[in-house]
Amino acid sequence: MFNRSILVLTALLGSVALTAPVSAADLVMYDALDFASHVTEAFTKATGVTVDVVEPGSTGETLGKIAAEGDNPQFDFVWVDGSAVFERMLADGVIQPIPAEIYAATKYNALGKSLIPADHASLPTSASTTAIEVNTAKIAAADMPKSWADLAKFAGFVAAKDPNLSGPSYQFLAGLFQTNGVDAGKALLQAALTNKAISGLASGGKVTKALLTGDAKVGINQDSGIYAKMLAGEPVTVVYPTEGSVALPASLGISAKTQHMDAVKKFIDFIASPEGQAAMQDGDDTDYYLIPVIEGVAAKKGRTTDIPFVLLDGVAAAAHETEWKQWYKDSFVQ
Amino acid sequence: MTLISQQGATGTPRGADIAIGGTGAVSGRLRYMIGTLPIYALFFVLIGLPLLTVLAQSVMPALFDPVAPSFVIDPSPLFRAFASVRVDTAILHSLELGAAVGVTSTILGGVFAILTQRFVLPLRWLITPVPWLVFLTPAYLKAMAWVLMMAPNGYLAQLGLLSRPMSDAFFGIGGLVFVHTLSLFPLSAFIIGGALAGLGGDVEDAARLAGARPLRIWLRINLPLLAPALALSAIATFAEVLSDFGLATTIAKTSGFGVLTYGIYVAASDYPIDFPMAGAQSLILLALILTVVMADRLLRRQGSFRLISGRSRTARVYDTGRARWPMALAALLIAVLALYLPMVIIFLRTFTATLGHGLETSNFTMLNVIGALSPGAPASAALVRSLVYATFTALISAGIALILSARLDQAGPNARAVVMGLSIGSIAIPGIVLGFGYILVWNRLPGFRDWPFPHYGQPSLLVVGYVATALPYCLVVILSAVGQLAPSLDDAARLHGATRLTRLLRITLPLVLLSVVTALLLTFIRTMFELPVSQLLIPQNGSPVPTYVVRLLKNDDDGPASALALVAMVTAGGLAGGLWRVAQRFLTFGGRAAKRTSL
Repeated sequence: MFNRSILVLTALLGSVALTAPVSAADLVMYDALDFASHVTEAFTKATGVTVDVVEPGSTGETLGKIAAEGDNPQFDFVWVDGSAVFERMLADGVIQPIPAEIYAATKYNALGKSLIPADHASLPTSASTTAIEVNTAKIAAADMPKSWADLAKFAGFVAAKDPNLSGPSYQFLAGLFQTNGVDAGKALLQAALTNKAISGLASGGKVTKALLTGDAKVGINQDSGIYAKMLAGEPVTVVYPTEGSVALPASLGISAKTQHMDAVKKFIDFIASPEGQAAMQDGDDTDYYLIPVIEGVAAKKGRTTDIPFVLLDGVAAAAHETEWKQWYKDSFVQ
Repeated sequence: MTLISQQGATGTPRGADIAIGGTGAVSGRLRYMIGTLPIYALFFVLIGLPLLTVLAQSVMPALFDPVAPSFVIDPSPLFRAFASVRVDTAILHSLELGAAVGVTSTILGGVFAILTQRFVLPLRWLITPVPWLVFLTPAYLKAMAWVLMMAPNGYLAQLGLLSRPMSDAFFGIGGLVFVHTLSLFPLSAFIIGGALAGLGGDVEDAARLAGARPLRIWLRINLPLLAPALALSAIATFAEVLSDFGLATTIAKTSGFGVLTYGIYVAASDYPIDFPMAGAQSLILLALILTVVMADRLLRRQGSFRLISGRSRTARVYDTGRARWPMALAALLIAVLALYLPMVIIFLRTFTATLGHGLETSNFTMLNVIGALSPGAPASAALVRSLVYATFTALISAGIALILSARLDQAGPNARAVVMGLSIGSIAIPGIVLGFGYILVWNRLPGFRDWPFPHYGQPSLLVVGYVATALPYCLVVILSAVGQLAPSLDDAARLHGATRLTRLLRITLPLVLLSVVTALLLTFIRTMFELPVSQLLIPQNGSPVPTYVVRLLKNDDDGPASALALVAMVTAGGLAGGLWRVAQRFLTFGGRAAKRTSL
């Protein structure tokens, strides 16, 4: 009976194989960006090169999948928010350095040039930053915070993401320690983030939700996400702190094991082109409200780019990543 | 009626065909080994090996190190886990929550099963589909609905029905037990309902003839006979709560009620993954479950009864006259809280543009639904993919579970106990742990990574992963049903020369067909919305429904997420509901018409 049973099971499993054909696309992309899928459709239409899009969830979940794949990465390129994590992936041999000719061929603006990492671990494709999100239904215009230090006035009602779960949030934390000094930065956060229920959230969406449900009055959030909600009609607005905030690049990394470098280069050429840049802004979700890093490209209407940027010291950020993330978890995450 | 204890008062004891004596015993054991080995191997590859790769890292932290992998044994991750106040608190929270919900869900599920199976109820059409529909609703959507309702600025507060203190009280262990209970009572209702159906009416009839009143019959006869099912329900819901991720990452997180699964998720969602910590917490979680399962077995060694024989009679259905209305209202209250209210919230969110503007007239829109239904759109493509994956998963899981159950029932109580324990233990394995185990086995382990089928990154491995998560449920449902069959039925067929395949297809399968259909539909529905394995084994050719919905939720796109979930629930629910009606019409054990008895 069991030989027959095994045969039946094998036939069933075989039928799955037949009905679920093996991926035959030219490229495999792992991403956690709203526009990535839309951009690949435009890319395929323009070039005929096909791309399988794998979107496991948040940036953290995507990076977790890459970490689990280890020395046998299944992607040709990865496209997520952040820059420091690419340094670690390069050190582990998961990705390879971006070839110098790619940087040379990309017409970056000043912000774009400033975001190119020294070790060429990643290719910046756009940017955003961290700002203060304010619930306009709860806070009058006269009482709006103006700086990170003002967040202490809203202690108990400040929502923030856990840097252990959010790449952009770690960029903010490292940037705050860079601009304010580590001890002063820690003191500032300890004065503001006194409600652990809302200071270790998993995503920007949850920060906005905490504001909309009334759990929080202000939040530390990615500015593109705030614009998306604000322009969709939600009662929130964006405030850039006077101290300045760290530019957060969306970056692309190339797998160390890719067999399709020419196709990857074609994709990079496309996203730097006017058509690619248009596709990256052709939507209403968070990441579409990007700050362009390509010369001559304007941001979406209503999106400010005149921001007091601070450039992150990527080496220091990567060097202290484990320690600072642990400190945040111990201090502000339940 | 024949009442047969597990030790076998009549018929051949389980496993007797493998112990004939002398040379025959040796060859019998050999045949038994050869026969069962492939099944155990399948079980090992599906669940055991992926789990081991994760758990092993709690004592071999450098096993999958990207730079210098090593087999060096180092138990420091376990010490680190136990030394962490966060982990210790999470253990206590998980135990506290699991124990509370194990009791409340069993009570609620038991009451619901008795009300719906043994009493004539008005408005039955509003009540009986509820357990299936609650199962159809994924935990993360139910959690979202309750958060939208109970948050300080949520829908109930906007309507003036909820004060801030009430809202604050909800976001704590009370609210978690409340939502978990409403979410898991169907599992209890299925288990207890299955046992109720198996009780038949013989014992009750005998007690009535002896002059016992209904209450006494229930307390002194039915309840003790249902005790194994009640214990199984409590353990299954306990295990389900411990392995839950949907509420752990929403209401529990918001309430500051850290549980083990969330700790594992945090350890596994970064680069680099803190795999030693994830492995250590997984090991602790599994140890907790297995301890409870073992304790349960020690407590009720003599408690299993076999009640279905060829002469069983259908149980009576009581008509309580006017008292049936309060009973119907009680069942309806459960239905409203568990299903209708959350569904109304999801429905409202589907047809509104923003949360902040609540139920203002100008806020209503059809755009979310249009987006979910547009042919060729990513949302509808995800829906088609998930329907295909869920269908294959259900067929394969129920098929394997049936074969395994029939084989184990013959293999003796020890093999049965091992697989039952393993199955219940497997329910507690968080999908996120199993999913990572699958990546490690099928993308990292030499010998597996190069297999053409199933292969990492393809739908085949996702379906295999789904099967691994569904198989324990199918086994619990089908093994319980097979376990109630009197051995005499199989023995009689064997003495008449029927082969094992004939006995499986013509004796066992018809008697447990309703349970097989139950397992099949249960798997279909759960697979449609299974999240962690979908996320980790997402095929390169596109997202299934859960990952797409969660991606929308992550961006706070509650409206489009609710719309896709609603469309998926209606589609899958329609298919499953149709099949279930057909199954009930033609497959009810003991015939269609139930006798009615007036009290």
